[in-house]
Amino acid sequence: MSHAKDTMNCDEYAKAVTQNPDFEDRSGHLQDCADCQAFSSEMLALNERIRAAMELPVPALRMPDLPDLETGNVVALPARRRWSTPTWFAVAATVLLAAFLGLRFAGPGSPQASLESQVLAHVDHEPMALMPSSTPVDEARLQRVVPANVARMNHESGLITFAETCPINGNPIPHLVLQGKTGPITILLLPDEKISETKTLDGENVHGVIVPVGDGSVAIIGTREEPLEEVRKNIVNSVAWGV
Amino acid sequence: MNSSKATSARKQRFDSIVSVFHADMYRFAAWLCRDRSVAEEVVQEALLRAWKSLDSLRDDEAAKPWLLTIVRRENARYFERKRLETVDIDNLTASQSALLAEAPSDELDELREAIFALEDDYREPLVLQVLMGFSTSEIAKQMGLKQGAVLTRLHRARLKLKEETASEVNS
Repeated sequence: MSHAKDTMNCDEYAKAVTQNPDFEDRSGHLQDCADCQAFSSEMLALNERIRAAMELPVPALRMPDLPDLETGNVVALPARRRWSTPTWFAVAATVLLAAFLGLRFAGPGSPQASLESQVLAHVDHEPMALMPSSTPVDEARLQRVVPANVARMNHESGLITFAETCPINGNPIPHLVLQGKTGPITILLLPDEKISETKTLDGENVHGVIVPVGDGSVAIIGTREEPLEEVRKNIVNSVAWGV
Repeated sequence: MNSSKATSARKQRFDSIVSVFHADMYRFAAWLCRDRSVAEEVVQEALLRAWKSLDSLRDDEAAKPWLLTIVRRENARYFERKRLETVDIDNLTASQSALLAEAPSDELDELREAIFALEDDYREPLVLQVLMGFSTSEIAKQMGLKQGAVLTRLHRARLKLKEETASEVNS
């Protein structure tokens, strides 16, 4: 059923229409090929049946108890929420992790969560930052989020797709996202968080480090599969704190 | 704007977004996890997380992919916790069977079973394209894949469903 004059043959057309039944043929192949017309109709019909089969009945919207964010503690869980077993386990695991990190790093009598647990909690708090993207943040926004008096970065650190000013330990800090090999990589520039040695971060679905850089530090977090060593080198070499 | 007004405006914005996209959130979750109860649980967690991070959604036009990203992530968290990765189509739980039992006709029931049995890698892009109306580049973004990989998965998913439904008709 192929025609020599076509820029698209039947196999190519069949593949395109199987990938997307709404595929628009601009080559003119479909017009002259009865087999492909039949195949196209078949795929469109199949697609409609798939759509109908996927339209599951939706239960009524049950809104969870939404926490009052005015308290400033955005990672707090709602007090009166009824937890199912899996949620209960997750909360218990989070509490144990926080307790472990708190005991290990914050020391006795520490008034607030450790830097590590704050960083991990913050990564969870910005789902928009975790969307894979190939669109770079515009330069003006980047300069606003990372002003020269806070930090200077050269442009070799990678494709930055998210930039936002966020609070950590009560200080506004630049939160950036680079696109890594397996997903987004979060970078938190922490000019006010001086640490003496590298700290390891081990979250539920992520891993990372907080590395000392001059009088501050930088947190680098990626998916569990993401190799962070190269990014870490680039970032550490690329960041200089402002005056 | 005082704080109670700000909270009220935030709640209003959240409600209006959720009312539009709740069905998409539930259906996406249900097709990801293939279990009615788990889907409801995932949506509850996703709503909570969306509420907490509403400020990071700068453009309401992007609410749908934003919410579906949260659902996808919450579903991954759920299965990370439970360590359940596969569904045995011949040995379903009551909640999994309930999802399949909701088809309005026998023909759709068979097709729904075939979609249910597709590998995760094939089912997810198909749901995003057919049900959510995403373009292949949007699916690639959502799933962190190259567009070519998405096209291959969609192609294979449809061929499998075509074969499945043809063999059911023949038998």
